[in-house]
Amino acid sequence: MRQGICIYAEAHNGVVSNTFAELLTAARELQKTTGEEISALVVASNSAKLCADVEAFGVDRILGYDLSVEHALQDDAIAKVISEILKDIEPSSVLVPASPEGRSIFSRVAMRLNCGLTADCTELLVGVREDGGYYIKHNKPSFGDNVYVSIIIREDFFPQILTIRHGVYNPAKQQSVRATYCDFSNMLSFPSSGVKVVSREAKAAVTDSISSAEKVVVVGKGMESLESLELAQAFADRIGAALACTRPLSDVGLMPFERQIGQTGCTIRPKLCISIGVSGAIQHTEGIKDVETYIAINTDPHAAIFREANYGIVADANILLKTFLEKS
Amino acid sequence: MNIAVLIKQVPVSNKVSVDSDTHALIRASAEGMINPSDLNAIEAALSLRDQQGGKVVVFTMGPPQAEASLREAMAIGCDEACLITDRAFGRADTLATARVLAKAVEYYGNFNLIACGALSSDGATGQVGAMVAEALDIPHASEIRSILHMLADNHQIEVLKDLEQQTYTLLVDLPALVTFQFGCNEPRLATLRSTRAAKNKPMLTVTNAELKIPSELIGAEGSPSRVIDSWEPQDGRKAEMINGNEIELAQKLRALLAKGDEA
Amino acid sequence: MKKKIGIIGGGISGTCLAYNLSLYDNADVTVFEKDTVGGASTAKSAGTVCLFDDSLKNRYWDVRLYGFETYLKMEANEKGSAGFDNTGTLVVATNKQVEETIKTGIALAKAAGYSGEYITDKERIKEILPDISTDNILGAGYTNDDGYFDGTMISNYFAKEFVANGGTLKTGVKVEEVIVENGKVKGIKTSEPENYAFDVVVDASGPWSRFTGKMAGLDVPLWHTKAEAFFLSPPGKKLSYTFPVLKYPEFYALRSGDNIFICKSHLSMDLSNPMHAGQWDPDKLPATGGTDEYFIDFLLDQLEMKVPGIVDSGLVSSWLSYRAEPKDFWPILGETPVAGYILATGYGGNGVIEAPAASRDLAKLIMIGESTPLLENWAYSRLLA
Repeated sequence: MRQGICIYAEAHNGVVSNTFAELLTAARELQKTTGEEISALVVASNSAKLCADVEAFGVDRILGYDLSVEHALQDDAIAKVISEILKDIEPSSVLVPASPEGRSIFSRVAMRLNCGLTADCTELLVGVREDGGYYIKHNKPSFGDNVYVSIIIREDFFPQILTIRHGVYNPAKQQSVRATYCDFSNMLSFPSSGVKVVSREAKAAVTDSISSAEKVVVVGKGMESLESLELAQAFADRIGAALACTRPLSDVGLMPFERQIGQTGCTIRPKLCISIGVSGAIQHTEGIKDVETYIAINTDPHAAIFREANYGIVADANILLKTFLEKS
Repeated sequence: MNIAVLIKQVPVSNKVSVDSDTHALIRASAEGMINPSDLNAIEAALSLRDQQGGKVVVFTMGPPQAEASLREAMAIGCDEACLITDRAFGRADTLATARVLAKAVEYYGNFNLIACGALSSDGATGQVGAMVAEALDIPHASEIRSILHMLADNHQIEVLKDLEQQTYTLLVDLPALVTFQFGCNEPRLATLRSTRAAKNKPMLTVTNAELKIPSELIGAEGSPSRVIDSWEPQDGRKAEMINGNEIELAQKLRALLAKGDEA
Repeated sequence: MKKKIGIIGGGISGTCLAYNLSLYDNADVTVFEKDTVGGASTAKSAGTVCLFDDSLKNRYWDVRLYGFETYLKMEANEKGSAGFDNTGTLVVATNKQVEETIKTGIALAKAAGYSGEYITDKERIKEILPDISTDNILGAGYTNDDGYFDGTMISNYFAKEFVANGGTLKTGVKVEEVIVENGKVKGIKTSEPENYAFDVVVDASGPWSRFTGKMAGLDVPLWHTKAEAFFLSPPGKKLSYTFPVLKYPEFYALRSGDNIFICKSHLSMDLSNPMHAGQWDPDKLPATGGTDEYFIDFLLDQLEMKVPGIVDSGLVSSWLSYRAEPKDFWPILGETPVAGYILATGYGGNGVIEAPAASRDLAKLIMIGESTPLLENWAYSRLLA
């Protein structure tokens, strides 16, 4: 029977992504019930250093494969390597960040292994079959108002590859655990790939990244005009907050996609969140988690957002913000 | 240059409800639109065809009414369409869907390039593109920004991809599949004339009678994942409402923010 | 002792009436809107004024003028509150009959102090609207005092005002039952647990009036005609001139940001054709799309002939709305056989411009029982004959 929770350690520029620590939290929670071993899958260049970083967090096993620098983004070949490793190790589940890289590689792995791949879960629960075997229930909001779904991978289609969005789990604390190390680099030759990186350069930076900001102002459909957005930006600047938006505003091009929170955008976990003109539809509010102080401003007293926020103000935001900005 | 574009019809509004038995979303039949990032894929494909010559064939898997989206895609400029429809394909997850799409593209003809949107606005899994590439055993580049140019006598393309604060220039061997980021280009619009003309552009309907995929690989049977439950979330905490006129509200807001700063 | 009035529907009709009622000291008004204020039919209306237009027939010139001036005053009071885009209006005469109506309209507009001229110089017409074809037209009426308003903004303004005057607005609340006892209205039941007692209940639910009427045991003989519209992105994305409100007998067009909104005129419809007119369920109207295929051909043929400069515009989006009106096309206002049950519906796509005068008179009828010639002309009783 399959055993083991495998975590894909995504890495960029020689550093393990902070998603690893979050997936480790998820894995440890599963482990509480299933008692399985937790292993980390490190398929990257400079893997020795990354394996050491991963070991510091505390996993039972590390599965390593060292890539050359020129193997970057060769997802067709990387997926073949990972598929072979998973066929060898036979874990029951693989936790993957719901990131562009995670999606790209593991979609190919799932097709290759004919196994299940779920997307963007917000909660993982363990179920027990009649024969005592464990399976994972992957809960997530479905696109639509106020509907959650629970997804499982059928027994014949394991391993269960589950992608988890950044920000859903808190990063795990480091633990001192001795890890067994399995190096697959010599066992598997790197397959040929149809992709090659020709060059790379730093991307033009998007100012004040919303995912790391402690204070975020989120504007929604109620602020869908240039004048309102100017006011919101001025307000955000005044209080030292980053400006984010829900989908309607980036759909119409008023704000860039990098600033979009919600189901198809980022998940943010700021200390302070002020939403303005956001109705509270689930696919938007799912992008905002664990906020200490959540203030919602909306003209509609029945808006669903008031079920999410700590404080609610029913007002015309344009007038309120103007008044706020006039003083101090 | 033959380009296949895979598109999906998605609900226009969030107001969908869920069937309490199957837990599948009930999609109001009148409200379907082409998935927004698929429009970016169509635009990139048409641009490439305009430069290189060739044709663009648009594919979709769905119920018969998905034809409307294919006609819309042809009104925007695609040359031909293929409607993949069969009850046996229904209730499929991303894997079972990708298999069918891959088979249909193979069945239709030879393509140098397959393009699609990176994520759909309803499911937003972002999986189908890469899965189709694996099923066809071709390389892929996902969530790209643009195709820069064709090289080596139409055997390679150079593309731009943003990932983690870096912009990569990639060389990809053809045939390949690429998925496009939402908003990476400005999709051209259909016109009244092109919409009328689209009615007469060729559309092939393909069912499993043509594709002959074994039943254990399609539909619900061929789907490793399954939705087992659906529910409405509980009401969370209720907000403490703050009242007053504009000046009072601004003052109270200021006070709340100051309190947060101290914490 | 206050008079308790419950209004079903928070569109232009319901909010305008609520505002007018709230001007009376002893009115206690509650408006019930199941979605958002001015978010349904009102949101899909063009909000045109058209000082020379004949959709009301010049017989009701006063009504149109009153509406226009109400909104001009609203704008003067608070800029932007009525969403007025002062683009000017060009009404094209394609035959002698239309020409006569336009010329009459111009005389009436001028008498009210507004500008208006009938232009036969084709060069001048082309100066106003370069993309037009002046072939086969007799001339066009033009005023630069005219334009279009935003019905949703106006509805929200009226709502804000009537609430400020002490009224109650309930959004997200659906009316489920109208309580009638011994032929008299007693109150309503909604999706909320509490019952509401009212002396007067007003149906301002537009295309839903047939369903609302059934709740009160009343047959409201409303028909729905399809208002199909497209948003076009002109060739070159931006026009180099101000696109005026443009009216032909078959369609009308106006600018909407950088785009052009174009809609089929309902008087050109064959109302016995089930493709154009019927009795449908407005809840089933899709948020966008829903236009029939023939509409593409219709628009293509019309624009090729009449405004060829924009025929190759990009199609940005389309929508379908229902104009609700009885067979004689006039609104249905006032008393019904059910005591205390009042109708304020059937505006048939002209709600924005007609509601101020109609609501003014209806409020007076409800509060002091005094009728007006307008109410008599548009009374429900005329349909019972």
